[in-house]
Amino acid sequence: MSYYFAIIGHHDNPLFEAEFGTSKSGGDGASRFPPQTRYMNQFIVHAALDIVCETQWVNSAMYLKAIDTHPPTSSHVSCFLTPNNIRFMLLVQPHLGNPRASSAVGGRSGYRGEVYNPTAPATEEAIRGFFNEVFGDWIKATMNPFYGRDDRITSPVFRGRVMTAAKKFL
Amino acid sequence: MTSQDASSLKSPTYSDPDSSIILPKRKQDLISSTINLGRRGSSPSLDTLYASTTLPRPASDSSTSTLTASSIFPPGSIRRTASPGPPASTSPDDPRNLVQRALVPTIYVLPSSDTEELMQEKGIQGGLAELLRPFGDNIHGKVTIRDSIGASKSFDDYGVRFIGLRDSLNILKSPPRRSTERRPSTVNGIVEPPQKVLSPLSRLGGDISHVEEVVDRHLSYAESQSQTFSEDYLNSKQTDPEPSSSASPYFTHYVKRLLSGIPLTPHETFSHPVACVISISSRNPNALEELRRLYTATNSEFRLPPWVSNDFLRYYLLVHDEDHDDVAQSQTLYEQMKRHFGLHCHLLRIKSTRCLPTDDDSIKLPLCGWISAGEELMEIQKRVDLNIENSEDDEDPTPCLIDSDMTAIRTFVRELVVQSVVPTMERLSAQWNEQVASRRRGISGRFMSLSKRWTPFGSSSRNSSSPVGGQSSTGNNYDSLHGFYRPDTPEAIMRRLGDFAFMLRDFKLAQSTYDVLRTDFNNDKAWKHYAGANEMTALSSLLLPPSASSKGKVENVDQQLETANYSYATRCSDSYSALRALTLGAELLRIRGSSNADQAAKWNTRIIENRLVGPIGFPIYTERVSSCYSSRPGVGSMGWGSRRRKAAFWNVMATDQWLRLGKSLQAERCLNEATAQYNSLEATDSGVKAFDAIQAFLEDIREVVTASRRAAVGYDEAEEDVEEEEEEEVVEEVGDNMNIRRRGKSLLGGGQAPFGGMDNNALSPMRTNDDEPAFKDENFKDENFE
Repeated sequence: MSYYFAIIGHHDNPLFEAEFGTSKSGGDGASRFPPQTRYMNQFIVHAALDIVCETQWVNSAMYLKAIDTHPPTSSHVSCFLTPNNIRFMLLVQPHLGNPRASSAVGGRSGYRGEVYNPTAPATEEAIRGFFNEVFGDWIKATMNPFYGRDDRITSPVFRGRVMTAAKKFL
Repeated sequence: MTSQDASSLKSPTYSDPDSSIILPKRKQDLISSTINLGRRGSSPSLDTLYASTTLPRPASDSSTSTLTASSIFPPGSIRRTASPGPPASTSPDDPRNLVQRALVPTIYVLPSSDTEELMQEKGIQGGLAELLRPFGDNIHGKVTIRDSIGASKSFDDYGVRFIGLRDSLNILKSPPRRSTERRPSTVNGIVEPPQKVLSPLSRLGGDISHVEEVVDRHLSYAESQSQTFSEDYLNSKQTDPEPSSSASPYFTHYVKRLLSGIPLTPHETFSHPVACVISISSRNPNALEELRRLYTATNSEFRLPPWVSNDFLRYYLLVHDEDHDDVAQSQTLYEQMKRHFGLHCHLLRIKSTRCLPTDDDSIKLPLCGWISAGEELMEIQKRVDLNIENSEDDEDPTPCLIDSDMTAIRTFVRELVVQSVVPTMERLSAQWNEQVASRRRGISGRFMSLSKRWTPFGSSSRNSSSPVGGQSSTGNNYDSLHGFYRPDTPEAIMRRLGDFAFMLRDFKLAQSTYDVLRTDFNNDKAWKHYAGANEMTALSSLLLPPSASSKGKVENVDQQLETANYSYATRCSDSYSALRALTLGAELLRIRGSSNADQAAKWNTRIIENRLVGPIGFPIYTERVSSCYSSRPGVGSMGWGSRRRKAAFWNVMATDQWLRLGKSLQAERCLNEATAQYNSLEATDSGVKAFDAIQAFLEDIREVVTASRRAAVGYDEAEEDVEEEEEEEVVEEVGDNMNIRRRGKSLLGGGQAPFGGMDNNALSPMRTNDDEPAFKDENFKDENFE
């Protein structure tokens, strides 16, 4: 599994981006997205903002859980909203290599080898834990008096903290 | 800042300084190209074939409809002065309209040999069926239909299909093709070369690869045509942020061809005969015997397969030859016919001499709007061959008819449908509804189906294949060995009832009938029938007015489509039917708006995901996903609940896929749409452009599109005139065209040596992203992040 994590500001602009892989079940914590399709992740996350914009008014929780999927790359997007409407987006791509090969023959989408279930309680809780931890770090990072509204977060410490959280939960 | 950014995404800024560079080359090429184009560009007979998709894009709201409305029926040929457009109250893009006009009664035609002779003399190659076909597209005037409750509704866009009975039998007798099961082969995203010889089997539809190829021809044609007015194109495209929810003409054509020539199968009866026109001509010396002989032939010699009900209307037609025979004699013969065969008779008076295009009052016989994809391919091939042979005078192969003949045939078809076919269908469906269906619907019917399920207590052999001949001891009517119900079993009659109700546009009855059938077929494990019933239940409940369907119903529809897809694609590996079910379901969901549009997008995505379509359908359906999303308007000034980001994203993906196919024209259109959508999104300073990889990708793809457009304008014409090869080459050429690209870029940014570092890393459009930093200007970057 590979993860792409982005913090999206008020104007849909990314404040922070990170890619990492799973550290559970023998993963080495490195992301394995196909190199030439890095823009795809950004596109998918950006497109998922449509759903966030809609869901945020009907769901009062900060953690909106898995809100969107992108079947062609079999990616799932989870979202966490901060009180000042900064959006944490986490894209999960369970299948690596060629995702199309696995769903080649028609109608098989029901049973596809090992299925990643984004709504499984364990998955949801793991992502919730990750988001909560990052939220804490994010508050600390933005408390910096030199941080302006919608600035990119460049602090290596923050990046390190996100990676630690990723290692801990995902 | 925004406006700068916006304009930096539009090509005119690039092209202005650039065009001066390549202009000399173009001019010189234009001379040679006019020679080529003179041959391939200006053939009116070929143009008419492509008319459905080639009308200028801004007018596309009407262009999709004009296939049937104006280009097929030349103005005046069919008097529709009162209602110029397609007469239905709704817009032509409306998929409801499309579905209603696609699934219509089929009327078989069985002419005697002397009638066929007369037709040959008249210059109609395909015989009587070919002559009648175009007139079945749209019945002249209003057709009034009474539904099961007794309420009358009239439609002025009713249609029927005419099929030659002999043709249809030939198709059935020949070895079954595997092509419906076979997926269109994908070799690196390129359509495999078409088989040159198209057999007469192509009359049968249901072959996705043929559909793909037809649409590919249309696309190539559009690309080749666009070269001639590319200057206009470059200038005019800034004006075009059009509502993207209207269908692309290629998608409409794709769906239309998908629905043309529905194969004759046991699991649905849309192409089963509703009536059969038995025809003789006035030349026949003993007409009545001939008619009797033909009638018996429909029961013996020309008997359709056992799963087709033989209980259809026989209609007797006497074709009178105005030029050679005596009217009085024919009149007496006609009176005799009426006495012997009842009221379903008609006397058609037409001229037998061949009509020339130069004659007064001559009108070209229109092309049937619902020819199957294979037929259209043959038609295109025929005209291309003809064009190559005699490039000077455009001999148009379409036969002509005198105006009076047209009127006579139109009157005949109208009378046939209004006075015979529709009343018969009404009568039969009322009868079946009373005798078969209503028994199953009430509370007792439920018990009956229960008891039917449980009577063979103990005998567990219910799902074992029943003995040949249908009726097994287990009370199961399904002949699972051959995969059909005999036409006299209640299930088959119910299915016919549902289809009749659907064709008579009584969707409420159709929906309830199909719904009952679903459980039956499921119990019998008749998977294809089950899929078909699910498909039709979903479609007919979507065709009911939205007020009648609650939220729960929509969820049912979702479930039914899912089942239909699964049963068709996985259990029966019939990807054609699966594609048809999902496409129509998605289209009908789309017009429901709000959350249904999301569902529509989901189904279109599923089509792509399951690879139900081939390489050409891939970008077409990707575009469709985009328009599904953009058809969701959003609420309030913030556009709450709109899907503009998703729409734009899918448009970008479509651009990418079009580029892979080398269809730069389409790519450019999609990209413009995506850019417009992204620009409309954020009035603020960042938006999607703040994502560096996205921004780089968009710039890249814009440049590749511009380069290949320019290549199409400037370079292609020097090459040979085989369109397909050209288009495919464009992608390879892109590496070559990077020169232009770099030049354009450096002119804009001003910071770089024109040919710096471009020699050996040929970029394919897909890979450019990696190399981006190598030539990304500093100026440009700063601009984006300020």
